Amino acid sequence: MSEIWSAEYTAMKGDVPLYMYRKHEGAPDPGAARPVLFLVHGSSFSGPSGFDLMVPGRDDYSLMDAFARRGYDVWTLDHEGYGRSGRTDGNAPISEGVKDLIAGVEVVERETGERSYFFYGQSSGALRAACFAAAAPDRVRRVVLDAFVWTGEGAPTLIERAKRLDQWRASNMRPVDRDFFHSIFNRDLPGTSEEAVPDALADAELALCSEVPTGTYLDMCANLPVVDPLDVTCPVLILRGEHDGIATEEDLIAFFQRLPNQDKQFSIIAGQAHVAPLGLNRARFWHVMDGFFRMPARQDPYEDEDRQKIEERRRAGGRS
Amino acid sequence: MSGMWSAEYRAMKGDIGLHVWRKRVGAPKPGAADKPLLFLVHGSSFSGRSGFDLAVPGKEGYSMMEAFANWGYDVWLMDHEGYGRSDWGEGAFAYVSEGVDDLKAAMAVIEAETGAKRMSMYGGSSGALRAACFAAACPDSVDRLALAAMVYTGKGSPTLAKRAERLDEWRSSNKRPVDHAFFASIFNRDKPGTAEDEVAVALADSEAALCTHVPTGTYIDMCANLPLVEPEDVKCPTLLVRSEHDGIATDEDVMEFWSRLPNKDKQFTQMDGQSHAATLGLNRWRFWHVLNTFFSMPPRCDQ
Repeated sequence: MSEIWSAEYTAMKGDVPLYMYRKHEGAPDPGAARPVLFLVHGSSFSGPSGFDLMVPGRDDYSLMDAFARRGYDVWTLDHEGYGRSGRTDGNAPISEGVKDLIAGVEVVERETGERSYFFYGQSSGALRAACFAAAAPDRVRRVVLDAFVWTGEGAPTLIERAKRLDQWRASNMRPVDRDFFHSIFNRDLPGTSEEAVPDALADAELALCSEVPTGTYLDMCANLPVVDPLDVTCPVLILRGEHDGIATEEDLIAFFQRLPNQDKQFSIIAGQAHVAPLGLNRARFWHVMDGFFRMPARQDPYEDEDRQKIEERRRAGGRS
Repeated sequence: MSGMWSAEYRAMKGDIGLHVWRKRVGAPKPGAADKPLLFLVHGSSFSGRSGFDLAVPGKEGYSMMEAFANWGYDVWLMDHEGYGRSDWGEGAFAYVSEGVDDLKAAMAVIEAETGAKRMSMYGGSSGALRAACFAAACPDSVDRLALAAMVYTGKGSPTLAKRAERLDEWRSSNKRPVDHAFFASIFNRDKPGTAEDEVAVALADSEAALCTHVPTGTYIDMCANLPLVEPEDVKCPTLLVRSEHDGIATDEDVMEFWSRLPNKDKQFTQMDGQSHAATLGLNRWRFWHVLNTFFSMPPRCDQ
């Protein structure tokens, strides 16, 4: 088995530098490009901290390593205001996150020569990824939306979060500390992850920052829905942890049913909570993602016709 | 892949003999379940071996049994009463409920051969109804369940509305004739072009060598007796696969069933470019890929 190769890059969104990180089994070979998987982080911690987490005494928490070993060219990006990326005086809402991704994919294209990628987004990262897929459909091959929320109606986590809406509106940044990282893993159902995980995550993040932007919290509490399912035209996997309070199943099913591309999947992972990629059952979670990305190509004669129909429906806003 | 091994068995449901067929890579060790077991349940109109182990002249890759055997499964199927190489009791309609009894008889054979009491199960069309009813009746026997071309209440189903126009005919006889034109209609009724023409011919040839009629019981059940199973009674992890062009049910009906399944290890997959008989369609490898991913889910770590 080859060593995992890694590299850092900087994408530029105007004058805001955005940190990018890439992992690959062995050094990339320009003559044998692997499928690119782009991982999009959520509201509370940066890309490498969440997707390439090193938990002391454990070697099986890095989603980036797991997918590099499975043959993917794995990338992530720290959104504006997070991790190793630049800060501004803005609050980094979802719409800014989409601009971050637009900047990020230019770097990926420059380095790989490929224009269209697999995407995975977690929590508000799923909102960013869905909005990006809607804005740049030619750049997204297949997208996994994990811990996603559409309208937010009835979502226990968002009802609780909205109690502090004035605070999110009053400041562009919110403080994070060790207790907060523990709360992410315990708010839905304690015991769905190992205790060492939030500590490792807190160690990684608190070395980089003491606060994160409020924009995605504000969007999720006050501005949903931020994406119309009819605009997400690529194949979609909705992935949900059984105990995740960020959305109700009904909300997600309604979104899923409106997705126009008939290559779509909804998977619920039993025994998982909101941060499923770092839960006890992460291997099950990764297995489902990998299976979705590896779907063999269509062999029937209707693919182009279907693509046209999807595009017509998108343009008509669902009225056709 | 070489080394494909096969064997046939006879399950007994009372005095009705039922054909059971098995394929895997390499011979088994008697009494040992050394590979994950997968059982395939056929639908209303053709037998298990014809549908799941079909040889299409000049074409490769139509045997679902061999595909899964090559992925490491020990694959089993049966011909239900009245179908293929199984007996047909005098006057029997072979309703879905009787299909469940057939499956119980087959499980006894599998346990005798492998020692295993549980397996993954796939059912298509009325085979999905048999499999779901079996999972509800024998929850200890089904590890993971995949249901394709499934219908719950049947409300709004174009195929069943059409079929129900002949309900009196199905009720008046336990036998309905099948011929080459009928088999062609299975593949063309939803969306012509989603399967190769040679498939219907090969399937018809395979079935014509065994029978000229099949039982009407599952047709009657699907036209007049739905729902046959409530989702709350299916307690194992369940995958529901819905083909884009399948008229056997509406999206809403199938999603209603899925949303009420109590086990939160569950998956709903919608497949584009597919019609009712997805296992024999042009996109069958996509279909099989989805099933394989579901059946090969790693074990839970939190229980």
